[in-house]
Amino acid sequence: MPLKKTKERNHPGRQGKLIMPVFRNMTIKHKLISIIMLACIAGLVLAGVAFISWEWSTFRNNMVQNVSTQAEMIAENCKAALAFKDAEDTKKTLSALHVEPSIVFGGVYTKDNKLFATYYRDYAEIKVQPNELQSSGFSFNAGFLNVFKPIVLDGEVIGMVCIRSDMSPMYAMLKRNISVIIAVLFLSSFVAFLVSSQLQKVISRPILSLAKVAKDVSEKKDYSTRAIKHSNDEIGLLIDAFNEMLEQIQQRNLELVDAKEKLEVRVKERTAELTCANEQLTQEITERKKVEEELRKAEEKYRTQFEGALDAIVVADVKTGIIIDCNPAATRLVGREKSELIGKPQRILYPPEKIEGEFSKTFKQHLKGKQGQTLETQVITKTGGIKDVAIKANLLEIEGKKLLQGIFRDITENKKAEQRQAQLLKQLEKINQELEDFAYIVSHDLKAPLRGIKTVAEWISTDYADKLDDNGKEQMKLLVGRVDRMHNLIDGILQYSRVGRVEEEKVVVNLNELVTEVVDLIAPPENITITVENELPVIKCEKTRITQVFQNLLSNAVKYMDKPQGRIKVGCVEENSFWKFSVADNGPGIEEKHFEKIFQLFQTLTPRDEFESTGIGLTIIKKIVEMYGGKTWVQSKVGSGSTFFFTLPKTLSATDKEKQLLTASSRNASAP
Amino acid sequence: MVAIAPKARADSPSSQEYQVKAAFLYNFLQFVDWSEEKSADSNKPITIGIIGKDPFGNAFEPIKDKKVKGRSVIIKRFKSFEELKKSTGKDKPELGREIEALTKCHLLFICSSEQENLKEIINSVRDHNVLTVGETEGFLESGGIINCFVEENKIRFEINISAAERAKLEIRSQLLRLAKRIVEKDASQENKGAESSG
Repeated sequence: MPLKKTKERNHPGRQGKLIMPVFRNMTIKHKLISIIMLACIAGLVLAGVAFISWEWSTFRNNMVQNVSTQAEMIAENCKAALAFKDAEDTKKTLSALHVEPSIVFGGVYTKDNKLFATYYRDYAEIKVQPNELQSSGFSFNAGFLNVFKPIVLDGEVIGMVCIRSDMSPMYAMLKRNISVIIAVLFLSSFVAFLVSSQLQKVISRPILSLAKVAKDVSEKKDYSTRAIKHSNDEIGLLIDAFNEMLEQIQQRNLELVDAKEKLEVRVKERTAELTCANEQLTQEITERKKVEEELRKAEEKYRTQFEGALDAIVVADVKTGIIIDCNPAATRLVGREKSELIGKPQRILYPPEKIEGEFSKTFKQHLKGKQGQTLETQVITKTGGIKDVAIKANLLEIEGKKLLQGIFRDITENKKAEQRQAQLLKQLEKINQELEDFAYIVSHDLKAPLRGIKTVAEWISTDYADKLDDNGKEQMKLLVGRVDRMHNLIDGILQYSRVGRVEEEKVVVNLNELVTEVVDLIAPPENITITVENELPVIKCEKTRITQVFQNLLSNAVKYMDKPQGRIKVGCVEENSFWKFSVADNGPGIEEKHFEKIFQLFQTLTPRDEFESTGIGLTIIKKIVEMYGGKTWVQSKVGSGSTFFFTLPKTLSATDKEKQLLTASSRNASAP
Repeated sequence: MVAIAPKARADSPSSQEYQVKAAFLYNFLQFVDWSEEKSADSNKPITIGIIGKDPFGNAFEPIKDKKVKGRSVIIKRFKSFEELKKSTGKDKPELGREIEALTKCHLLFICSSEQENLKEIINSVRDHNVLTVGETEGFLESGGIINCFVEENKIRFEINISAAERAKLEIRSQLLRLAKRIVEKDASQENKGAESSG
């Protein structure tokens, strides 16, 4: 089956292929003749076919019409005979068909299709069988026309008339027509051939001459020849165009030779350019490879860092909060597998109170301009454990996706340590407070009996002056001296403990005036001079405390002065945000190993009896200065003197307005 | 069941003859035209009268619903004329009524049993546009219009044209062509003469 199908399909194609090349290879002359002949024959055949078919159909219709009329008449005429079952009469009626030679059979059938009466033309008994009967109409069958008509009596079909007509006369006529048409066809084809073979020359001759010229031109390459024009039709136009073309070709040929030379030069140039570009490209590719290699290395490095980092790193999508990547430290931090984290929302890392909506609070904060900052929060492990973490997050953009990379540091231990420290500090403060209170109470309570002892001792010295011998008097004097020292010691402790315990009101103090007052109070011996090297600032502070600082420093310097000409200098320089005050003397100096010790409580470098000293003074200075946020230290050279330094922050300095107030008040005070 | 009732004749060979005759009666109606008086009202049925001893049996059964010229057909049966005469008294009003009924028929079939009173029956209806059909010899001569008879096993009929003309009936040529014999002599005159002489 498929084979047959392809054959059928190929057939028309092959035919077309066979005909077309044959036609294509014909000369113009033959082509023209063939076209004219074909057109002629086609037209004639079409006309003939149309004529015959029209005649055939007309003839047939006429015949049907004719026989139908006959049948109708018979039906009408034998109506009564059939009703009264008179076969004789019916037959008589039918015999009228004799007038039409082509009718070979006529029959009347009863209602139940039984043959009632018949008529036959003399030759051949041709009968219409009951099964051929139709209710009405006609049929063509084996060269005969059968026409059927019902016999109707008073609206009721009582039988049927059938007439059979021979078609052979009609066929004979058809044959005759066809043969005439074929004869006409042959004759006219012959005439058409004669006419066309003469007329075709009108068209083919100029074309052939043109073809000859064209052939000459192409063979000899002689573009100077021209075709001769015969007529003014399309062929004449063609010849004109051909000549025009030849002329142009001639000209183009010249141009072409010229252009070819130019082109060669241009090709060389382009080749050179291309080579150059190619080299550049190669270089670029090499560079790009290098860059790519570097990039790969960088990425590898990042990976290594990412994977090996001690801090947990989690990368999440900014829009959805879905975790894209995390490192092993992250899995350790929350005790989940990598697969349990990637693809999940980042909020699963956090305890409920650190979550706000779809995201963690820190995630939102980092996105709201806090990126790059470290935020503290808590994470939750798989088992529900809470860990304190510090998160630093940065925005990344990878392949067009905005990501947030968070670096988590576990600060649970730090937090604990901080808490412990705070606790200790609190304890320490409490103990310190208790100690200070204790010192105050003790010294305060000790002072009263001591005063009593001193009073009694003085009573004894005055009341029993005449009874005591010199030795006794000396002993009593010693007693009073020791009691005084004890008194001073307790005073000192009291003062020390008061620093930081009792707060004073801060007032504006001109340090220049204050130093002058202190010097007056100390009243140094004549061989010692105290000078203020430069202008001291005006500050706002607790006056007694600062007085104490200067008093202690200056009195120490005076007290330990061992030179016949004592010089003490007070100075102040600005250093950063501090004032650095100095009190320098040319006293005995201090060994470097004692630089620390002298600021400790109850430490004196000289024997008690040589100088009346409690060893508290420097300690108090230190405490006061440190209370203001400053520092104290000493520089010294044994034998040539020492310089004590202390600093005070500039924040203490008084405003200009306060200074004015101060000067005004001091003027008022000094006016009377 | 064994006994053969008179009605059983309907299935006997003679009844086949009457089936054909019944069909013929219907066909006669097709080919005869009545005067305006009897054909005007197409809603009224066509009446077939049968007088005498009815030989048809149930022969009308298959065709009784058939319409002729668009009108339904009814069959009216009349007693034999002899009986009619006997049953009615001296005044004979009933007879008059019966005869009037006879004249109202379109077709009157006179059975062979009425041979004796043939002329009397025909005379009483002959001027009333009634198609008289008979089956007795000499029916036409008695003034009847169509007479049926059997020939070569086939039912044939003959027509008296003059009688038809007298009864103002038009018989179509198709029917006339089929008649075996056509009588043109007006038998009524003759009959009248016979009657008066007798």
